[in-house]
Amino acid sequence: MRMNETEKELIKMVLSGRAEAFEPLVTPYRGPLLALAYRLTRNREEALEVAQEALLRAFRALGRFDISRSFRNWLFQIAANEARDRLRRRTRERAAFDEAVQGAPAAENPETGHDRQEIRSDLMRCLDVLSPREREVFVLRDLEELDIRETALALGCSSLSVRVSLSAARRKIRQTIRENFPHLEEGR
Amino acid sequence: MTCRRTKRLIPLYAGDDLRPQLARAVRAHIDACPACGKEIGEYRLALARIKAAAKDEARPDWGEGEWRALMARVAASAVEERHPTTILRPRWAAATVLGMSIGLAVLSMLFRDAAFGPGSVTPSSEPAAMDAARKQDVVAVTLVSPETGLQVVWFFNRNFEWKGDEN
Repeated sequence: MRMNETEKELIKMVLSGRAEAFEPLVTPYRGPLLALAYRLTRNREEALEVAQEALLRAFRALGRFDISRSFRNWLFQIAANEARDRLRRRTRERAAFDEAVQGAPAAENPETGHDRQEIRSDLMRCLDVLSPREREVFVLRDLEELDIRETALALGCSSLSVRVSLSAARRKIRQTIRENFPHLEEGR
Repeated sequence: MTCRRTKRLIPLYAGDDLRPQLARAVRAHIDACPACGKEIGEYRLALARIKAAAKDEARPDWGEGEWRALMARVAASAVEERHPTTILRPRWAAATVLGMSIGLAVLSMLFRDAAFGPGSVTPSSEPAAMDAARKQDVVAVTLVSPETGLQVVWFFNRNFEWKGDEN
């Protein structure tokens, strides 16, 4: 997906100091960006923080944006990085917490915790079976429809690595649908 | 291509993500192998279903207040980038004032020497002041730290050569 002329104009305006042009530039992506963050973090509050941080980072880094790329994909790349950083941080914090309370009953898996807080869609429950990397690849390639090259660029890895993770993700998704969500398979 | 190898490639083939050469080989195989063809059909169906579920899914949305607050943060960060706030810490402010005082004292002494020095032309109407200046052989500069109260006195001769200090 290439940039349109309006986006290029708006970017030029922001770079020339007219910060108010940033809002019309990103408004078309406010929904998709939040949805992406939600699918990656699987938590509404965290998704909101990820999307906010991604937009702030995008504003600060706009001068380094390569206009030969898709602006949408660039935003998605920033959001995916932010979501990954948060996931890592959360995992580290949880490990430190578990270590500190050794002997206490095993801590609840954060992802299971989300189940209690939110009524989750079938899609989100299908995504639960994927590893973090598989989920990133599957969400960007199959749900957001970035191509393999853009997905690799967004995740900072090779196309080969994307293909390996994508293959594993599709295998698991198909298996999960067959076993747990037959109504999806039947199109109901 | 064997069924085993084809099955490994089916997940990528189903989403058109194989390199053209491999895709051609898989296509040639499934034309002759109904079992692999059926499996590809199942993968494609699963992908189509999950994409449809993703489109139908209720997505979280920004509250209008959250969006406005974010845009305000963007605007604020733009102002900050254009006009970075300079914070002059008290310690640095004191040091700056002290440095400027010393500089002014030194400059005033230099100019006084130039005005009243041996080679300078002085107004004949002020002989007494000129004599007094000539008689002043030692100049003392006192430095006081506003933080610790420590005082240092430096002594210079009339040519502004340092002659010692006193704490």
